[in-house]
Amino acid sequence: MDYFPVFLDLKKRRCLLVGGGDVATRKGRLLAKAGASLRVVAPEISTELRGLVIVSKGEIFEREYQASDLQDCVLAIAATDIESLNEKISADAQTLHIPVNVVDSPALCTYITPAIIDRSPLVIAVSSGGEAPVLARLVRAKLETLIPASYGKLAQIASQWRERIKTRFDNGDSRRKFWEKILQGPAAELMMNGQEDAANKFIDDELANDQSQLTKGEVYLVGGGPGDPELLTLRALRLMQQADVVLYDRLVSDAVMELVRRDAERIYVGKRRNEHAMEQENINQLLVDLAKQGKRVLRLKGGDPFIFGRGGEEIELLAQNDIPFQVVPGITAASGCAAYAGIPLTHRDYAQSVRFVTGHLKSDDTNLSWPELANPTQTLVFYMGLVGLKEICESLIAHGRAATTPVALIEKGTTQDQRVLIADLNTIAGVVAVNDVHAPTLFIVGDVVKLHDSLKWFKTN
Amino acid sequence: MNNFLKAPDFFKANVEGLPSTMLKARSGGDGQAKKMDGQGKKIRAGKVWLVGAGPGDAELLTLKALRAINSADVIFYDYLVSAEIRALFPKNIPSFYVGKAKNKHSIAQENLNQLLVSQAQLGLNVCRIKGGDPFVFGRGGEELLALRTAGIDADVIPGITSASGCSTYADIPLTHRGLSQGCTFVTGHAEKNLDVNWDALAQLKHTLVFYMGLTRANDISAKLLAGGLAADTPVAIIENGCRKDQRNIISTLSELPADVIREQVQSPALIIVGEVVRMKEKLQSTVKAHAAEAHYLLA
Ligand SMILES: C[S@@+](CC[C@H](N)C(=O)[O-])C[C@H]1O[C@@H](n2cnc3c(N)ncnc32)[C@H](O)[C@@H]1O
Repeated sequence: MDYFPVFLDLKKRRCLLVGGGDVATRKGRLLAKAGASLRVVAPEISTELRGLVIVSKGEIFEREYQASDLQDCVLAIAATDIESLNEKISADAQTLHIPVNVVDSPALCTYITPAIIDRSPLVIAVSSGGEAPVLARLVRAKLETLIPASYGKLAQIASQWRERIKTRFDNGDSRRKFWEKILQGPAAELMMNGQEDAANKFIDDELANDQSQLTKGEVYLVGGGPGDPELLTLRALRLMQQADVVLYDRLVSDAVMELVRRDAERIYVGKRRNEHAMEQENINQLLVDLAKQGKRVLRLKGGDPFIFGRGGEEIELLAQNDIPFQVVPGITAASGCAAYAGIPLTHRDYAQSVRFVTGHLKSDDTNLSWPELANPTQTLVFYMGLVGLKEICESLIAHGRAATTPVALIEKGTTQDQRVLIADLNTIAGVVAVNDVHAPTLFIVGDVVKLHDSLKWFKTN
Repeated sequence: MNNFLKAPDFFKANVEGLPSTMLKARSGGDGQAKKMDGQGKKIRAGKVWLVGAGPGDAELLTLKALRAINSADVIFYDYLVSAEIRALFPKNIPSFYVGKAKNKHSIAQENLNQLLVSQAQLGLNVCRIKGGDPFVFGRGGEELLALRTAGIDADVIPGITSASGCSTYADIPLTHRGLSQGCTFVTGHAEKNLDVNWDALAQLKHTLVFYMGLTRANDISAKLLAGGLAADTPVAIIENGCRKDQRNIISTLSELPADVIREQVQSPALIIVGEVVRMKEKLQSTVKAHAAEAHYLLA
């Protein structure tokens, strides 16, 4: 971070603006909007800028700049096209420790101005630290389309309620929860649809309501996808941002964890092979306990919680204990890895069905019935490590699947370390033996793998 | 600019008003001369994102899908892309419906492939967005192959496939200890004979999900019964999954065909067969987490 972002209160404070042309006028407009009192210095000053000065109760000097113009100013902007003059203004201001900005000359600036999305009182500032102003502007354009104009209204109404809500909830935690409920629920919808009275009534009712709902915890069982943080769903991201505590396991990538709310407590619950950090029963119980303490608990899992994720077991206990919860599906590893490896899971000519199986042969629950897996028009996806790979291939062949059936082993799919090993049922074990393969891995069997060669697109660094 | 008028004929015929709309959208545009130049300068081909939109709920879009939507010059979508998601398309770029609801005539797959290629060759960045996941009964492989063959740069963005989204929203886990150790997604597409090994599908401790299976409910029921599954094997029919009007109909393997008719189930619908359907009762939370009802801030 090259710059420290701040929002300055300029109301009634003197700001020096040197220049009187278009650029200066634009800067003047912004300063005036923030309530600054303008001091404009230039031999020639645009009519609009003059007007702004009058409205802002500022002053105009129609002459060349002189060092004394900086006196009493809290901020300076140089918007002239004379380089030597800009340099002088910058130097003068720096001597006096007044923050100075020279338009389009980052080297002469002690602060830079961001691109702004103005939904006052909500204001979003975007900066690329002067490195890529066009990019910053593009980001602004995207945000403009994403954030409804009515957000300003929302923020205004919120500010009207601030004091009352503050006195109602002395505890910061329940206050924040109340706000989140208001700003994300029906009240927000009403406000944004212009039904202000109805919105106010809603908040009123909510305030009068029993508080217990707010102090009651809840659990979000969320699929974190296969690894690439960009494959998180919008809902996953939203819940990650509002959780008090996060339980995660090894399949959740670091890049995904980065996006969890900074001050959320993080609890690692396993499980690497042989590293049973926590038994499943204990995880289930922990979720219940934390929620009973009033926490918003995020249970973040790799992939999808309901596909080999034991999600059902975790929420079963929650349901028994009447704890509110919701489940958010995630991109399952098969989808993510297939997409990033350029291997369609189904295809008109090659596969009319796709079957997901877990390859942990040793677990007592798993008892693959091999004849069913031999069907040549079905894609098989094994969610598994490398243990047992050879055995699986041999069994498939023994039960009639062609030894030449193409297979793909995908290591660390969708991440920057993704590797795709292509072979056939007969040869894959050998290929794996000579490559240093690490978990997590996913194994795809079927004619669709033939397409990998022409469809692969994902490039890693 | 004339390039836009060179769009193939089927394109004009099927995508009503495309050329002019497109011209309007682009001429107000961002001065990307490389694309607009029709006077002999080489046009750099655009990029195509083959995007999975998920089953309907806009909050189930991935961050990457949203980025593609916002970076495109033109969007092509099909009928499974929900209205809620279409509402997120930027207003200043054109978007076109390219099929395919049953009986509604829309562009044939080969023409659609060609359309994507030609749009990219015009220098446009194309967002091709489809319901669910492009690689699960989405014909994404065919589109990608056409693009790659033409030398077009194309990315695939996976989406939540409807089996996963719809089952989750119906409180049914696809796999569950003791009940199901795997799941199979099968197409019941009516166009072809069901080329399925039914005996292999009729397996205990396994979940079956039929896509496009409504018109094949009879077949599905009869053949799985013949394959050895019990008549009372629980079945869930999920209509309009992950949308405001999602309907979950719980049935059994033997009752399935009758229930589809009696309940007048409409497409899109999924049929889930297996013991996991019984979990639904156990997993329904009496109080839903309030965030569940919350509307996504940006939607
Ligand atoms: C051509 S397939 C496309 C599948 C898609 N690519 C996916 O991954 O979900 C269309 C079928 O998907 C299922 N489907 C898609 N979206 C659905 C939804 N929101 N609710 C129920 N079923 C859906 C239906 O069975 C429908 O007939």
